[in-house]
Amino acid sequence: MASGQDSSGTTLMDLITSDPSAAPAAGASSQQSSSSAGGVSSLLGKPAASAADRKSRKGTLMQIQSETISAAKALNPVKPVSYAQLARSIHELAATCDQKSSQRQLVNSVFPKLAVYNSVDPSVAPSLLMLHQQCEDRNVLRYVYYYLARILSDNGSQGLSAAGGIPTPNWDALADIDAVGGVTRADVVPRIVDQLSAESSSDDVEFHARRLAALKALTSCSTNSSEMMEKLNEIVFGILEKVADTKQKRKKGIFTKQGGDKESIIRSNLQYASLSALRRLPLDPGNPAFLHRAVQGVEFSDPVAVRHALSIISEIAAKDPYSVAMALGALQDILHLHDVLARVYLAKLCHSISRARVLDQRPDIKSQYSSLLYQLLLDPSDRVCFEAINCVLGKVDNSESTEDRAGGWIRLTREILKLPEAPSVASKGVLSKSSEKSSKARRPQPLIKLVMRRLESSFRSFSRPVLHAAARVVQEMGKSRAAAFALGAYDEGATLDVESLDSDLENPTAEATRKPNPLSNGHGGMDTIAGLLASLMEVVRTTVACECVYVRAMVIKALIWMQNPHESFEELKSIIACELSDPAWPSSLLNDVLLTLHARFKATPDMAVTLLEIARIFATKVPGKIDADVLQLLWKTCLVGAGPDGKHTALKAVTIVLDLPPPQPGSMSVLTSVDMVSASDPKSAMALQRLVQAAVWFLGENANYAASEYAWESATPPGTALMMLDADKMVAAASSRNPTLASALTRLQRCAFSGSWEIRIAAVQALTTIAIRSGEPYRLQIYEFLHALALGGMQSNFAELQLSNGENQGASGTGLGSLISPMLKVLDEMYRAQDDLARDIRQHDNSKQEWNDEELKKLYETHERLLDFVSLFCFVPKSKYLPLGPTSAKLIEIYRNQHNISASGGLSDPAVATGISDLMYESKEAHKETTAMQSGIDPDLAMAWAAGLEDDAWANNAPAVDKVKDFLAGAGTDAPDVDDEEYMNSRPSVGYDDMWAKTILETYDAEEDDGRYSGGSSPESTGSVETSISSHFGGMNYPSLFSSKPSSHGTSQQTIREEPPSYSTSVLQRKESFENPLAGRGGRSFGSHEDDDKSSGNPQSGKALYDFTAGGDDELSLTTGEEVEIEYEVDGWYYVKKRRPGRDGKMAGLVPVLYVSS
Amino acid sequence: MILAVLFANSDGNILIERFHGVPAEERLHWRSFLVKLGSENLKGSKNEELHVASHKSVSIVYTTVGDVCLYIVGKDEYDELALAEVIFAITSAVKDVCGKPPTERLFLDKYGRICLCLDEIVWKGVLENTEKDRVRRLIRLKPPVEP
Repeated sequence: MASGQDSSGTTLMDLITSDPSAAPAAGASSQQSSSSAGGVSSLLGKPAASAADRKSRKGTLMQIQSETISAAKALNPVKPVSYAQLARSIHELAATCDQKSSQRQLVNSVFPKLAVYNSVDPSVAPSLLMLHQQCEDRNVLRYVYYYLARILSDNGSQGLSAAGGIPTPNWDALADIDAVGGVTRADVVPRIVDQLSAESSSDDVEFHARRLAALKALTSCSTNSSEMMEKLNEIVFGILEKVADTKQKRKKGIFTKQGGDKESIIRSNLQYASLSALRRLPLDPGNPAFLHRAVQGVEFSDPVAVRHALSIISEIAAKDPYSVAMALGALQDILHLHDVLARVYLAKLCHSISRARVLDQRPDIKSQYSSLLYQLLLDPSDRVCFEAINCVLGKVDNSESTEDRAGGWIRLTREILKLPEAPSVASKGVLSKSSEKSSKARRPQPLIKLVMRRLESSFRSFSRPVLHAAARVVQEMGKSRAAAFALGAYDEGATLDVESLDSDLENPTAEATRKPNPLSNGHGGMDTIAGLLASLMEVVRTTVACECVYVRAMVIKALIWMQNPHESFEELKSIIACELSDPAWPSSLLNDVLLTLHARFKATPDMAVTLLEIARIFATKVPGKIDADVLQLLWKTCLVGAGPDGKHTALKAVTIVLDLPPPQPGSMSVLTSVDMVSASDPKSAMALQRLVQAAVWFLGENANYAASEYAWESATPPGTALMMLDADKMVAAASSRNPTLASALTRLQRCAFSGSWEIRIAAVQALTTIAIRSGEPYRLQIYEFLHALALGGMQSNFAELQLSNGENQGASGTGLGSLISPMLKVLDEMYRAQDDLARDIRQHDNSKQEWNDEELKKLYETHERLLDFVSLFCFVPKSKYLPLGPTSAKLIEIYRNQHNISASGGLSDPAVATGISDLMYESKEAHKETTAMQSGIDPDLAMAWAAGLEDDAWANNAPAVDKVKDFLAGAGTDAPDVDDEEYMNSRPSVGYDDMWAKTILETYDAEEDDGRYSGGSSPESTGSVETSISSHFGGMNYPSLFSSKPSSHGTSQQTIREEPPSYSTSVLQRKESFENPLAGRGGRSFGSHEDDDKSSGNPQSGKALYDFTAGGDDELSLTTGEEVEIEYEVDGWYYVKKRRPGRDGKMAGLVPVLYVSS
Repeated sequence: MILAVLFANSDGNILIERFHGVPAEERLHWRSFLVKLGSENLKGSKNEELHVASHKSVSIVYTTVGDVCLYIVGKDEYDELALAEVIFAITSAVKDVCGKPPTERLFLDKYGRICLCLDEIVWKGVLENTEKDRVRRLIRLKPPVEP
């Protein structure tokens, strides 16, 4: 088949058919079939007479067909590898299925090869049905059932069937070669169903194996058709009606598994088949018959049947525990189940019933089921035991409430397992296996002890799945404990009717308050919960040594969850730090751990600072692998959640990122090992830089919040600051007044010098934001600094202090002059206006003159103008913000009152209007929007939105938020991203992998690429550098306490960032654009990217010299000879534009200079 | 739910794959992810040594049997340990069909039978038969327990 054979590689089909025995067999087939074709119709005596007519006609068709085929084969001998050929062989061989050789051939070569294809087309069905009726060979028949089931299960859309494989060639094309012609699914499915249902309803004992197979095949039909379902229900319940009543046969069935009488064995087989079919039917909780049959199934002798029965019951019990509890009798002797999964379902079932509110009236039932659940903790299988632990902890799916989880923790720590007085059944079953233990175990035991002992021994296992699962259980334990902690249920047991605790169980409060020596867990400490936990955690920690990175990740998650807010987390920190140094960690896993930090924070907001410290390790150790969006969201949520006391520390944790030395050897050595950057490769160096940039931005946006320093709340009149123009005094005063802000400023100032060009820009912008938002002396301090920076005068002083990172620091000292001057202009304007105001006030005071309306109007206009201007740079609450200083408040108030101006009428301002309406749009709260509009924007509300203090902020659809939400909800079965390009696209193509799914592959790739290229507007948040480097700042999706979309910043930043090399042009452009706002054109006049492109001069034209394939999102694929326009050059790359979009739909991007002739 | 069962050879070429409840557009991702996992971790690993991985709420257990790598993806009740049971059932059935830990050639020779075994062990995303003898009987169209 054309699509299946790739000239470059072997296909799966080639591999299979390279079997030396296959070729002669194929040759034999043509001989056989032609010679025996005549005998077909005479052999049709056996099936029912009514079908004979059809059969014989078919036989004739077959004969003609097979003759033509064999003739064709003789002419052109090929191995029967293509789908069409296989289909033909089936038709031929079905006609001669009475012959041993045909059967052998079907079983040995035709059917196995057909299995390679992912679907079976309906045109094969008539032959299969013929085989089904006529053939008696079990092996042939088994395949026939297999393929009939596949035809039934196909949902009609080709290539999307449940099974994988080489895509079957187009069925329409096959219709030509199919002599029967035009067989569609709609034609054959009813015939298949009829034939199979007739078979599965027949009571003939001789054929009961076929009956089972027919029923199974029948169950694979799609559940969409109600007619089908009805039929299936009828058959299944019909069988169960006859075989399900086990009361009299049971004893025999159980204890005489192999040697029972024939009747009971057949009965048990039928029980198995019917329950297995029942399990596949859609769950029908309201149907008493459904439940009744499932409950009967628990007593069947077939272990698989019992498993299915329990799984059905446990599913129904989750929805309707009452009727299940009523329908089930005593379940005591069920513990002897041999099937592990059956016991897992039993645990779930017990959990649902023992926790059901509707059964509160029946404490006897509940206690019976919980005791059963506790007994499962002793199960020899880890799977069952862990499920039981999870159930005790209150974890079933991820939808449990905090109360459930907290209750789970209390249960685990308080409840006691008392085995039944006469454990006669137990001794027969599970418990006998641990007989040496059982004498000890029969004593009433606190659950926690059992669980701890079990987990500890599991952690000594060598099996990775066991370790992984055990770590997961510990994580769940941590979650429940955190929930108990959050609800304060940690130390009070009154909510549950708990039996009095053993004296050796210390009050669990002790754990919360326990501070010293958590690790000295001698035997003395073993009997307290704290002691038990400590010794468990000790074992967990050693598991970090496992060589499997996934196990380690799970262990780290467990440690994060078990971390107590009051304990020292140094150990956890160092574990994580040294783990992250391992390059084996895939980024998806690291992001998972990062998301765990989020979840941990959600559970215990007290831990904000601790978690930030841990997150910092991620930022420093693996900047290239983590998702910057998720990290920033964590910063933000922690900053908000840290409360007034923790804000300072939280901000500090973020700013640590800024202290990172540039990634090169010999950088500052003052930092501890935790903070050493391992950004050795260029990719992570770039990512680190991006992260630093983000941190700078974050700092600018949020420093004022963290420091609680706002200009509009500052009491210091501007005059005071003017007297402190001595820089040293100023800094001293500043840091004494607000160390948080002062240190943030220091860091930003350093970044404005030492970072790369992008970081310096971000730092200057951040500084401006702080300058505008802060009162004196900070504003003045920043003003001074910016002024100096613009002149470049201080560069020499600082240059010695900072290690150069090798980048050109810019000709004019910093290269930031163009950026700084508009910012300085704002501040200049503000100070000038303040001076004017001070002078005017003095004049008025001296002459004892009232302010007249004209003067007030002038003042107010200045105020508004400055306010608009300031709003271009960052978000400020317009009703409160006073660009003219606190003294102007009274005068403006007077003017407003006189003229009846609403305090927050500033909505006319384009920038702020845009910014805030964006916010409102994001929070998608229509009613809030209207209230806000009516009363003007209430600044506090706006701040709250911006800060994400309300939960609505979680409703916005930033990708990071989605991720966190998904994670918290425990969702996600979607496929992981494989960041390694090699595996996605350019795996050496020996693979049928590439070719077999070619159709899916091609369309899929195209879609994906489209999505990725449009990433400029919606920043993607994969952790990989190339996808997000350009989009991050373009999209400005940084979480901010003030404004998630400061429009003016966004645009200007984008402008700068997207054309870093063209200093001169961007400077020009920026000058223009920054002057515009003064002329009142507003924020939008900053010019979009396209404008820049046009204004950035005359693009050179060039020609592609070679083919070039884009390696990242910002790169552009070229074909030789293609004409392009060269926009600019950067570091050996041209940014070029094509005349028309290429095959990938991209118009512009980066290409290596050498690939283009200019 | 057992989301995927996938056999690949040591070069990462997929021999058999069965998905259940995985949208078609994600299968490619799963394939690449699993094959990558295998290529990174299965080299030099012992026969039938179990490896584990996870992604969000999904567990993955994989191993080698003879020259063939086997990956199983599951969620909900099919966690690492349950998948270990599944993988054990499948490997013992495969060894039973092939008579020994299969070479790639042997595996392909027995391709049809292995597909039938798989059909008996994992059916519609649910674990069905685990016992080797039962599977052996069922793929020969005999009843699970012989009368």
